[in-house]
Amino acid sequence: MLDAVVKAVEGFNRSVEREVERARTDAEFGKQQLERWRAIRAEIGHTTTPTGLKLPRLALPQIDEPGEIARHLLGEGLPGEFPFVNGAYRQMYLGSSDGDREAVTPEEPTRLFAGLGLAEDTNARFHYLTGHQRSVRLSTAFDGPTLYGLDSDADGLLGKVGEGGVAVDTIEDMERLYAGFTLGDEHFSASMTINGPAPILLAMYVAAAKRRFGPDVVAALRGTVQADVLKEVQAQNELLFPIDASLRFLGDMVEYTTQHMPRWYPISISGYHIAEAGAMPVQQAAYTLSNGFAYVELLRERGLDVERFGPRLSFFLDCGLDVEYLALARVCRKIWAIGMRDVFGASERSQRMKLHTQTSGRSLVAQEFQNNLTRTAVELMLAYANATNSCHSNSADEAFTTPGEQYVRLAAHAQAILLEETGLFKHMMNALGGSPGMKAVEKAVEEGILAEFREIERLGGVLSAVEHRYQRSQIQAAAHRYEAQVNSGQRPIVGLNRYASNGHVPEVGVVRTPARKQRLQVDRVKKFKKRHAKHSCKALDELSKVVEHGGNVFAQLIDTVEDCSLGQITQRLHELVGHFRPAV
Amino acid sequence: MPRANEPIRILTAVPICDGHDSAINTINLELIRYGVEVVYLGYHRSARDIARAAIQEDVRGVGISSYNGGHVEFFAQVVKLLRKEGARHIKVFGGGGGTITHADEKLMRSRGVDRIFFAGTPLCEIVNYVLDRFDVPARGVAAAGRISQDLRISQMLARGVQRRGNRRLGTGAPSVIGVTGPGGAGKTTLIDELVLRQLQIDPYSRIAILSHDPSIVGKGALLGDRAVMIHSQHDRVFMRSLATRGRAGGLSAKTRRCLETLAAIEFERGRGFDLIIVETVGIGQEAVPFDRDLVARTALVMSPEYGSCLQLQKIAMLEVADVVVVNKSDRPGARAAMIEIGQRTGSNGQGPRVVSACAKRHRDPGVDELFSLLIGRQSGARHLVHRAEAQRT
Repeated sequence: MLDAVVKAVEGFNRSVEREVERARTDAEFGKQQLERWRAIRAEIGHTTTPTGLKLPRLALPQIDEPGEIARHLLGEGLPGEFPFVNGAYRQMYLGSSDGDREAVTPEEPTRLFAGLGLAEDTNARFHYLTGHQRSVRLSTAFDGPTLYGLDSDADGLLGKVGEGGVAVDTIEDMERLYAGFTLGDEHFSASMTINGPAPILLAMYVAAAKRRFGPDVVAALRGTVQADVLKEVQAQNELLFPIDASLRFLGDMVEYTTQHMPRWYPISISGYHIAEAGAMPVQQAAYTLSNGFAYVELLRERGLDVERFGPRLSFFLDCGLDVEYLALARVCRKIWAIGMRDVFGASERSQRMKLHTQTSGRSLVAQEFQNNLTRTAVELMLAYANATNSCHSNSADEAFTTPGEQYVRLAAHAQAILLEETGLFKHMMNALGGSPGMKAVEKAVEEGILAEFREIERLGGVLSAVEHRYQRSQIQAAAHRYEAQVNSGQRPIVGLNRYASNGHVPEVGVVRTPARKQRLQVDRVKKFKKRHAKHSCKALDELSKVVEHGGNVFAQLIDTVEDCSLGQITQRLHELVGHFRPAV
Repeated sequence: MPRANEPIRILTAVPICDGHDSAINTINLELIRYGVEVVYLGYHRSARDIARAAIQEDVRGVGISSYNGGHVEFFAQVVKLLRKEGARHIKVFGGGGGTITHADEKLMRSRGVDRIFFAGTPLCEIVNYVLDRFDVPARGVAAAGRISQDLRISQMLARGVQRRGNRRLGTGAPSVIGVTGPGGAGKTTLIDELVLRQLQIDPYSRIAILSHDPSIVGKGALLGDRAVMIHSQHDRVFMRSLATRGRAGGLSAKTRRCLETLAAIEFERGRGFDLIIVETVGIGQEAVPFDRDLVARTALVMSPEYGSCLQLQKIAMLEVADVVVVNKSDRPGARAAMIEIGQRTGSNGQGPRVVSACAKRHRDPGVDELFSLLIGRQSGARHLVHRAEAQRT
């Protein structure tokens, strides 16, 4: 299948060149190009900046030669046009033309990832972060035990509960987590960074929403669950069940959400963790895109219609400081669009790559950590120059702790400064697109991605390459190379191997979950299990039946979570389908 | 006995609920380059798993790489468990990038952690620490106090002590199974699945595993089998990983002595290990790693991708194995491989049984068949004895 994608991209590039040639040699066709170009220009509105400068709302290259015009219009497309190099949508983050208060699109791109302590702590952080936002877009981080499908009262977890994310064991925690927000509201969405136990956590979310707002809320729920099984095997190591079983549970969930939750994004195809584990930018893009195509193939094999689930797939990429990030997302959008159109025959809605970006956690350094503010600012700028649909900016203190309020606020404000204070993105679309350097990077990155696709195909496709440990070993090799470059000084890191002061890392406040709270959570889940002891066995047996008889596991989980904790459900599923065997 | 001239052995792991293995992978490779033998336990491992493995593997130090928080409690728990078992001599060290603060470090040191490395530590500093700190085995190993059964076995393996000579290899109990085959055939996964079945059939049984990994010429070794084993990290399973240290043929110079020692181990009521499994390194075509008196039965594990019929003719183990397993039966070519191997081995009716299996599959019937061929019947009978014993107590 990746072979077909490679051929489609190469075929696309050739066809663009043919059209360029035709525009130059065929007078009639050349004339058509010029006319279209003039019409596009004529339609572009203008805006006046606070300094009195009059600017077009969309920046276009200064070209008037038919061949070049054809290359621009067909090869990269206007924002919102195939192959979406310049952006998935027409307007992205433009401010209104007569001032900056209201953006053209109702949704702000800023996302703030948060999760700490117990559900009520994260809930308070959510309310703190969204106090001034028009739209409420919550992005949730879970603690280690939740990520691994364990209850807080499992053996040997003391110290881990509520660390690095929020502890969620039961539907009651889920209710506390989003208390005070109107789930199902047009301006509310929740994103959950959860993978191995994603179907269980989403089932808790759905069940909690039904408890508060009634059964009709389900169809109105908006949000994202990460649920990216393949990148877990390749990089993040948080898978619970064997790959086959994990993919089945995922398929059940996608089937359910496409039928009953049309506004939900059931998989966030993620390169972020691949890059954080050490992959180079081209590897990040290649593994993420190929995983995406593999999901499309798997879901189609299940009998799902690409027109229904295609538009509900979204992507999540890392943005670091390497030069590839000047154009990485632009190339990704192009390859996704061509693959979806030409290999899977999908319509435009499915061709548009919807992209969330996060600045690189790996680029943050503990030494002289305030430098991280600068690193993150540059990464943010690159992410928006690549027309990301939404973005999370890391806090400077994340090199050593779950971020404290002070640095979270600075990180959020960095985005406001970039989008609202600076004139780079609010006046016109494409202020930075298409520079010669960007074009050069695009070409090199595209070739690199296609070369990776060929290698994966040679190993028998994505799943077979996973079994051969291909992606894993490549990521590990890249990580070793990075480390060696840092050690040798070949990769400069200010404050670490350049311009380092001799002083130690200053002690900055760290956010930890006190033992008292951890014990409270342990107590809560114990009580929940005791209270539901009568019904939990029966609920688990019902779940077993569905797993064994091939029914939709996700639909059943929405009932199961009423009486069972995360750990109880995970354990039962382990008994039925086994454990994921880690790869080294 | 001092073993100062032997390579340094350490164990490395990532704590429970933590999958950040990038740093530890890099550190493992660096340590190996400097001659260290690293037993790698993998990620998402409990303190109990780490302490148990450290004792069984007779390592001098335990390195823990933690990025998901809770390190103060977790490191302290490992130290505590080691001390409880009488293994105070095994030192615990580690790091967690920027997540471990200086204040944490003070606290952790006060709870017995030997050393914490902070963010930005050059790799060479970690390597130098390991080479200096663990160059000589600690004196007075568990001189006083009670020591755990695992530690006792571990020390016997180190000293090569054989208790009464009434147990001989290759005859009678315990049953010793040899598992061999080319690299990548899935030997380790298969063994882990056999262990699971043994523990299910007889929860009272005790199992020992001797696993081999190659040393890199002139360097150390990465002993990584434990990292992919799920069911063998168990209180009733004793596992020792051995590096070949330059010896050819698939086993280590110490294998025989270790096996003899394990076979002579006695637990309560004179019972020994019920099952001992020996895994070779990935072998070549000509290798016949097990001497006749070393193991009771052997399994040759192959994947369908062995090449042509001609290649098959050259595989020496096909002559002597009791069972040939064609693993990864979900792969293309598996059926053809079964037929070819059947023709190659079964021409005179005396050859090995050929089993098709898919070890990665949950409750794979092929693995069940292999289990009953290699171990099953005998174990089933023992199970009844053990149950009767348990009822008496």
